[in-house]
Amino acid sequence: MSSGLLTSAVGSLELRSPLLTGSGTFGHDPAAALRFLGPEDLGAHVLKTVTPRPRTGNPPPRLVETPAGLLNSIGLENRGLAWFLEEVAPQHREAPWPVVGNAGGESVEEFVEVVAAFGAEPALAAIEINLSCPNVQGGALPFSTSPEAVGEVVAACRAATDKPLWAKLSPNVTRIAPLARAAEEAGADALTVCNTLLGLVVDWRRRRPALGQGMGGLSGPAIRPVALRLVWECRQAVGLPIVASGGVSSAEDVLQFLVAGASAVQVGSYCFRRPDGIRRIAGDLRRLLAEEGCRVRELVGSLRWPGGGAAGGGEG
Amino acid sequence: MAALPADARVLDLPVTARRRSGPDAWILELGLPEAWPRLRPGRFAMLAPADGRGPFIPRPFSIYSQPAPDRLDFLIQVLGPGTRALAALREGETCTATVPLGNGFEVQPPERPVVLVAGGVGSAPFLLYLEERAAAGAAERTWFFYGARSADRLYDRERFEAVGSPVRCSTEDGSLGFAGRVLDDLAGALDRGEVPEEARFAACGPEGLLHAFAAFARERGLDAELSLETYMGCGVGVCNACPTPTDPEGPWGDWPWVKTCVDGPVMPLRAIRF
Repeated sequence: MSSGLLTSAVGSLELRSPLLTGSGTFGHDPAAALRFLGPEDLGAHVLKTVTPRPRTGNPPPRLVETPAGLLNSIGLENRGLAWFLEEVAPQHREAPWPVVGNAGGESVEEFVEVVAAFGAEPALAAIEINLSCPNVQGGALPFSTSPEAVGEVVAACRAATDKPLWAKLSPNVTRIAPLARAAEEAGADALTVCNTLLGLVVDWRRRRPALGQGMGGLSGPAIRPVALRLVWECRQAVGLPIVASGGVSSAEDVLQFLVAGASAVQVGSYCFRRPDGIRRIAGDLRRLLAEEGCRVRELVGSLRWPGGGAAGGGEG
Repeated sequence: MAALPADARVLDLPVTARRRSGPDAWILELGLPEAWPRLRPGRFAMLAPADGRGPFIPRPFSIYSQPAPDRLDFLIQVLGPGTRALAALREGETCTATVPLGNGFEVQPPERPVVLVAGGVGSAPFLLYLEERAAAGAAERTWFFYGARSADRLYDRERFEAVGSPVRCSTEDGSLGFAGRVLDDLAGALDRGEVPEEARFAACGPEGLLHAFAAFARERGLDAELSLETYMGCGVGVCNACPTPTDPEGPWGDWPWVKTCVDGPVMPLRAIRF
């Protein structure tokens, strides 16, 4: 009876559930997802970022709590592409859900190196490119803030793989629409909206940032309205499917993102609150959809804006 | 790199009782849906009120006691908003627990002496350790050095003493036992031959005590484990937010960090930089 309520798709990638893990919040390997989540709950496992060479990550403390969220600066710790392909990817080949690799890099060439290797890896159904981690290069945001840079990276990655390519955008911009359009024009198959918001917590007694690296990325329920606004703005700007990410911690939150235009929704920080959080949200989502008498696919992009026009700027 | 423990799960557990311990701590008693085997001392749980009260991220706590097969107790000192929200849970309310997590202390043969060192609520993992040693017939070859600022912060002292091993209390204000720091009491006991240097040592406590203990143990060449606590995001090895620096010359020297939650929280002193 309830089967089919949750099905969705991101372009050609069919999903049994619109709920995905957010990159960096459910590891590289499948152990935790297999333990705490079921294939009827998790639409796809989006993996932690992999870079061409090992990155040891940032000095601790790497996480500090904030009102309704957390600030993190992990620094893309990972043992590099060769390690991922040899030791991790094979563990995903029998996964009961699609697996999405997340590629990172500090240059166009580095992104292409990871994307090309992911493209040849049978365990991966799609590739998300992390254009937007705020915790590398000292928060300098090299790719995610310029349409030209986004276009260049996406076009180069597009040429390196036939697999579905998702461009993960940054919220740390004045206007996201030009970036969304740049990704679309360069051949992305979907947008992930958005990454963490660059932030700072100060330990005033020590006169130092609370995080070892200085700044960090803000996530959790605190950023949800910002992420929703960005999803809606991208929905207006492009025709690409949108994967939402930003502070989801309940089925009601998921429904807001679907209505605003997302085809799938990543759950990140809430997985820390409870590792079975996606299973729990999926159960609530089935119940709410049954009560409402509709399916996920019918809700996507159903937002009716006041006055019938496009998004109005709320600032000012 | 260690993996997620095979027995870890997420449970919404009823609070069966809550009782005060000392001026600022509580024992939170949680009921399990079925009987569990005895857990290795030193393992932990991530706890948060189930209704979303309190901070967004759960907090790690050592498993303090298993007084019945279907119960888990936790010793919670109120330090901030997270611990305050947990300590405010009443009987009949629900606590979300991801448990059991982490590795626990390495098992020692009963004939080998063991010396445990704790400050304040750092005692939490040692009740199970003392009980395990007593069950193995090793109570008299196990010593517990229990230090605190004052006698009322030697939480649940009588319960530790009742297990049967010698418990040596110290207080910085001299209100009970040795007057001074717990490491000074330990140093005197080692110097006088009252506890054997070839014992396995294990320490847990505030970060200051752990740093002092690490320096002390290195200086004296003691074989020691530390039960560490860092900021943790997930507790299950997926977020990389709880790195403990490794010793490049040690057994984990191929990477600058290990994950405190799955590679620990108990770590051999020789493997880490601390």
